[in-house]
Amino acid sequence: MKNKLLFGLMIFSSLGIMTGCGKEKAVTHTDSTGKITYEECTLTMDWWGGDTRHEATQEAIKAFEEKYPGIKVEVSFGAWGDWETAKAAEYIAGNNPDVQQTNYDWIAKYDTYGTTYLDMNTVSDVFDLSQYSDDVLDMVKDSNGGIAGIPVSITGRTFYWNKDTFEKAGLSVPTTLDELVNAGKVFKEKLGDNYYPLSINAYDRAILCAYYLQAQTGKPIINEDNELTVTKNQLEDGLKWISSLEKNHVIPTIEYIDGEGVESMDKSGRFINGEYAGVFEWDSTSGKYTAALGDNAGNLVVGNVFPELKSYSKVSLMFSISAKTKHPHESGLLLQFLLNDPEGVKIMGNERGIPESKAAYDALLDNEDISELSAQAHKAVLDSDPVFWNPLFDNSLLKGDTAAYNVVFGQLSYGKDVAGNSYGVSDASEELYNTYMQVLSEN
Amino acid sequence: MNTLRKSKKNIGFIFILPWFVGFLVFKAYPIILSLYYSFTDYNFFRGVTTYTLQNYKDMYVNQTDRAALIVTIKYVFMTVPIKLIIALGVALLLNKRSKMVNFFKVVYYLPAILGGSVAIAVLWKAIFNDNGLIHGLCKMVGMQAPKFMTNPFWALFMLGTLNIWQFGVFMLIFLTALNMVPKELYEVASIDGAGRMKQFFYITLPQITPIIFYNIVTGIVVSFQDFNGPFIITRGGPLGSTTLMSLMIYNNAFKTFNMGKASAQSWVLFVLLAIFTALAFITQKYWVYQPEDDGKK
Amino acid sequence: MSKKKEEIIVDKFEANPQYQKLREEYLYSINKRRISVHEREEDELTELEKSKYVKKAKRIRNAFIAYSVLIIIALVVVYPFLWMVGSTFKDSSRVFADIGIFTKKPTITAYKTVLNKYGGNINIIKALINTYTYVIPEVILTVISSLITAYGFARFEFIGKKVFYVLMMSTLFFPQVVLYIPQYILFSKWHMVGSEWYLPLIIPTAFATESYFVYMFIQFLNNTSKEYEDNARIDGCNYLGTFLFVVIPMMMPVIITSAVFKFTWASNDLLGPILYVVTPAKYPASLFVKMSMDSAAGFNWARILAIAFISIIPNVIVFVLASNIVVEEVGSEGIRG
Repeated sequence: MKNKLLFGLMIFSSLGIMTGCGKEKAVTHTDSTGKITYEECTLTMDWWGGDTRHEATQEAIKAFEEKYPGIKVEVSFGAWGDWETAKAAEYIAGNNPDVQQTNYDWIAKYDTYGTTYLDMNTVSDVFDLSQYSDDVLDMVKDSNGGIAGIPVSITGRTFYWNKDTFEKAGLSVPTTLDELVNAGKVFKEKLGDNYYPLSINAYDRAILCAYYLQAQTGKPIINEDNELTVTKNQLEDGLKWISSLEKNHVIPTIEYIDGEGVESMDKSGRFINGEYAGVFEWDSTSGKYTAALGDNAGNLVVGNVFPELKSYSKVSLMFSISAKTKHPHESGLLLQFLLNDPEGVKIMGNERGIPESKAAYDALLDNEDISELSAQAHKAVLDSDPVFWNPLFDNSLLKGDTAAYNVVFGQLSYGKDVAGNSYGVSDASEELYNTYMQVLSEN
Repeated sequence: MNTLRKSKKNIGFIFILPWFVGFLVFKAYPIILSLYYSFTDYNFFRGVTTYTLQNYKDMYVNQTDRAALIVTIKYVFMTVPIKLIIALGVALLLNKRSKMVNFFKVVYYLPAILGGSVAIAVLWKAIFNDNGLIHGLCKMVGMQAPKFMTNPFWALFMLGTLNIWQFGVFMLIFLTALNMVPKELYEVASIDGAGRMKQFFYITLPQITPIIFYNIVTGIVVSFQDFNGPFIITRGGPLGSTTLMSLMIYNNAFKTFNMGKASAQSWVLFVLLAIFTALAFITQKYWVYQPEDDGKK
Repeated sequence: MSKKKEEIIVDKFEANPQYQKLREEYLYSINKRRISVHEREEDELTELEKSKYVKKAKRIRNAFIAYSVLIIIALVVVYPFLWMVGSTFKDSSRVFADIGIFTKKPTITAYKTVLNKYGGNINIIKALINTYTYVIPEVILTVISSLITAYGFARFEFIGKKVFYVLMMSTLFFPQVVLYIPQYILFSKWHMVGSEWYLPLIIPTAFATESYFVYMFIQFLNNTSKEYEDNARIDGCNYLGTFLFVVIPMMMPVIITSAVFKFTWASNDLLGPILYVVTPAKYPASLFVKMSMDSAAGFNWARILAIAFISIIPNVIVFVLASNIVVEEVGSEGIRG
């Protein structure tokens, strides 16, 4: 018996030792220009996106591995839904990848003390920060003044229309609010009850409402000083307007949208077959929707931001290096290749919007690789003279499965609240206003 | 001789030592920690900043939190009775049969094995969504199926069916219980002139009350903690109508990392569960058959 | 006079079953004359009066009704599962159009893409392997630790035993949710979140943390006599030997049942993996199925159901193999409780 125990102990301990092992030998290489030396290593990287973005990024990474033999990159990627939860768990565990695609508001959420993301200044020897304007770099500073990530592009939301459906209804795509409202009526009469000019979920509505209010005040809904620039009455006004869109058959009810049970609009069968003739999305994500339409991709056209609305623009996404990485130098090389090096940029394309990096922009321009749609969409947002966007807009009390935007706009659409009592615009504005106040007071 | 005795006493303790260590590390310590956090505003990424009763107040004041509590209670009260009644009914039917009994037992028990899986939750989504199986079946008979995914009432009902579908465990337990009711009781009764109905109500039912009791308590404990269904099928459902406490706690703890609030909510859930269980135990005297009562009743 | 006779007969009945026949005949003769005072069901009377032939016919009728109902219920219970399997052979667009289990044009398109990789480098087969990488250790450790603990409780007396027992039982009624958060904090302090070897999932099972199984084993042990064990001890076995060679074989049914249960619960566990498995390449089947459902474009139901189906095949197989044993044990275990 005792022997068996000893034997077992031996097995366990040797297993333990084996899993602990795995040291890499530090082999140095020099690149083709002879100027940059780097160590042989394996980097980990992740990002979220649609299928086209995954393909482009993986290809670019392969090219990087060819250019810098000795560096291997292990990747993981997925769709946006639930992505952040997994990432948050990684931050807790402390095993986030070396290089990550990060969201703008994650700096505030996960990098409060500047200890999660590496200050990009420290790798400025390999990563060319001069390609980015100071303004844009200012936005992504962490609490210690370091640069928490590289802003890949600036983005804002605009409309995308399925011109085929509009033609069927005998209309051209709407360019003003009135045209949109009119389209609602015509769609119902001519095409039927299940055709809508626009389909937007709760979060989309929150943004659209902000656009509506910003046009009236000329100021960002939450300004740089973390103040709410609208009164409760104005908020109520905005919500009333959203409600009216539903009543006029411009947008479907939340109940109808949810009934399909899909995670996002590009996966919706109704969008694919044209019943939802419009979406309200970031200018950097047009690729997702054209891919979804498949053969009918040509039907997707960019709409302007109506004169009655005012857009905001924000850093679409960033790439950050983990503060805990063992290979900051090589990680910097990877990002330099993907974001600034014309070779890498051309493969990455504009799957993440129009790049802010000057070098990248020029490279894509050269290649005529900036997709029409992306360029048009970007222009549409800029034409509306976008205002500043405060990351608190996406605070977890507001944006999330059971957070305020979903709850308020959902209940507004259903007309009743969780307990079954009737819920109107004044209730909605009260709840939304209070939540905004709470978020701003806590920050 | 004395040392032998002592070692006999201690050997038992050695056997339960692993459990005890585990209990201290994985149960006792966490429970205390959880209670501590429930009185703070602990956020995983920001640490503790204040001590407050706000988390508990919110359960009463905040409408969404209160709703989760109500939904959970509704859910438990819907699933447990129906599940037990069906289980008992099937057990009664199966009781005196001799052919294919094992076949039926296995078939009814299958959902219990599969039901907790993600796969079945996905299946439920396929069956009950607006274009799903139920929709098709109803169309066949000319009815319009209710919108299970988006109607607050039907969504909860739909989740309940997933829970009730797994009645197999309880059915098996009832079956064995029925088999153990002494046959003589039935014989005496039938001679005394009691018909089958009376036999059921005056003999069968009272005899199996201990089992009914056990099943009720077990059923409540299980239903209170259902997570997979709400999480995968409805994600908290239309207007929070399927946000069970377990889901709400998960969201608070691991999506917004408000661990303080989530801890408080889990304690509320615990207290609620304890109350129901205690109620069951207390009323046990009044309706559960105790073997000592034979002379009195 | 008649009443007294009845009383005597009833008393004697309890003592001597022979009188039952006498009683029956007596009642029979009484009933012929007496007006029915008690509420008696029609068939009660008829069973005594008519011949065995009618009795049998009645029994067959009851059986027929019972079996029909049982079969209907069984169909309803099993239908979702059969439909799922059938749907995986349909073309995705027809999954809901043909609500029957079988379709006119079966196809295996769903299965062609079933081995697709999602999110980098994981497909359903790898996900299943991941699952069993931790499920099997969990099952083994749970059974062993619960058995040891239960043996300690059931066969020994020691100081404070009652206290420990109550503590252990109390955790049965504890909602797991309360423990999730502090345990998560604990594991993150130990840097085990995202562990390659699923440590946060496996380690607790080595400590018999699931009282359900301990309880089950204790009940079984309590209802089994110590005779065999005592005999083994007399024959010269030490405690460990008795444990291994007498107790364990004796408890095989419960052990198998517990193993099957734990196997099922562990492989269906979703919350554990969500919290502690961080890299997509290490996702177990439960997370993988969920992930593939989320990222399917245009909602390709046939493929989603195919993946779901594959993920539960092992559970079905394990259950079917052990079904007889499990089904018996579940029933008796409830009684002993």
